[in-house]
Amino acid sequence: MSGDTTLVNGRALDALVREIVAEVLVVPAEAVVPGVALMRDLGAESIDFMDLVFRLEEALELEIPYARWQRFLEAHLPGGQLAARITPAVVEAFAAAELARP
Amino acid sequence: MTERVAVTGAGVVTPIGCGYEAYRDGLRAGQSGCGPITRFDCAGLDTRIAAEVCEADAALEAWVEPRKAVKTMSRAALFAVAAAAMARRHAGLERGGADPARVAVVMGAGGMGPTDLDLLATQVQAAIDAARDGGTGAWDIPTFARLFAGRTNPLATLRGLPNLAAAHVAIQHDARGPNATITTACCAGTQAIGEGLRLIQRGDADVVLAGGTDAAVNPVAVLGFSLLGTLSRRNDEPARASRPFDRGRDGFVVGEGAGVVVLEREAFARARGARVLAELAGYGLTCDAYRITDERPDADGAARAISACLADAGLAPREVEYVNAHGTGTRMNDVTETRALVRSLGPCAGVIPVSSTKSMIGHLLAAAGAVELVAAIVALREGFVPPTINLEAPDMECDLDYVPNVARPATPASALSTSFGFGGQNACLAIRRW
Repeated sequence: MSGDTTLVNGRALDALVREIVAEVLVVPAEAVVPGVALMRDLGAESIDFMDLVFRLEEALELEIPYARWQRFLEAHLPGGQLAARITPAVVEAFAAAELARP
Repeated sequence: MTERVAVTGAGVVTPIGCGYEAYRDGLRAGQSGCGPITRFDCAGLDTRIAAEVCEADAALEAWVEPRKAVKTMSRAALFAVAAAAMARRHAGLERGGADPARVAVVMGAGGMGPTDLDLLATQVQAAIDAARDGGTGAWDIPTFARLFAGRTNPLATLRGLPNLAAAHVAIQHDARGPNATITTACCAGTQAIGEGLRLIQRGDADVVLAGGTDAAVNPVAVLGFSLLGTLSRRNDEPARASRPFDRGRDGFVVGEGAGVVVLEREAFARARGARVLAELAGYGLTCDAYRITDERPDADGAARAISACLADAGLAPREVEYVNAHGTGTRMNDVTETRALVRSLGPCAGVIPVSSTKSMIGHLLAAAGAVELVAAIVALREGFVPPTINLEAPDMECDLDYVPNVARPATPASALSTSFGFGGQNACLAIRRW
């Protein structure tokens, strides 16, 4: 979970991200806990990340080319092994970065 | 190969019942699944009736594993996956009960138009907005593309692929053997099951999940068939609109749903102690090579498909004890099919019960052949032949025993199921008591 509480339309970003992840992966919201790995633990596959970025676009009212998510992963999670390393915190950090863009 | 091929399970999603038992009960009761169209606003259309699946989406989605897979399923794919899961359970074939490389899937699919109404609506709205934004009132593709891309979840576009029904079934059942999608429209379900038979006979599979699916109760398909003059317009009496072989028939009623059967190589079925529903005994396939919608008046292509099927099954005409007809209820088909049956079955045609279950469930297009084979299996096992309902006064040229209106107690030992598609594509299957 992030230290500061970024708000989107009055909602905490971390809660919003958890809700979107649960919708995308069709799992109960309670399953989206800090540290859970979306691929290894919740069955996320490549198309689910496209779905995720699309829903972030809608929720954040931004345009987010999918390539930016891919570049974010390369920059923040170098070295591969993404199955165990993409967690809700990673998604939240990406969303925060997109919100912060001028 | 001299081993027989067994049908060990059947799953159906239909307008009169989902699952083998509910479907059987509906057939026995002569129930009609035809009613006013509710899936979309059809005000002003010439045809405002259809046969819609009676089960809620949530109940069908309960058959999908993992549930997440629903996101890339069209309505037709969802039907197929639910029917396949029901069939597998009906067969009592556990996951891991077969070598995955020897489990195949053959699915009839890809009927007219898109089956995903949400995707269609997004496309249409983007086109409308693009025309308005561009100020020309015409379809401005660059603007459409920008609007569509901005509004469309990439996953939704996958739902438009007809081969995904077979893919989803394969994923859920770990079926790593041959995988095929058959797109011969009205004939596809029958052809898919026939091709499944051949896969086992050729030694390429031990188990085949074979069937068909379609979800054509959508504006594009209903309008398309309506413009071609093929649909009944009996909007004020939907339950009486599908009337194959009847003098007052005026076309078919579009239906939706899916049927899947589990086929198994004999030795494989015996080794696991499978309960066998019937032997899938024969398959015939021909093409009229005549016209796109008209059938050959002499019914040559259809008759040859039936004859080829009988020869393949080693069945003489007098051994056929029930025919589940294609029987769409169009002016042309019912006469042509009657001629085809007379040509192929000879004098026996007059005494063999022939019924069209489309009178009850409508025309399920790519799924029709599959759910109709299951109706033939019901006839072999459940002590009755399903009726042709709404048969009040047979057409003068339709003079066979169509089992009018009421299911008839009977114990047929063998049966045929016929399907004839637009484009002149003809298929016939034969089943026999095991």
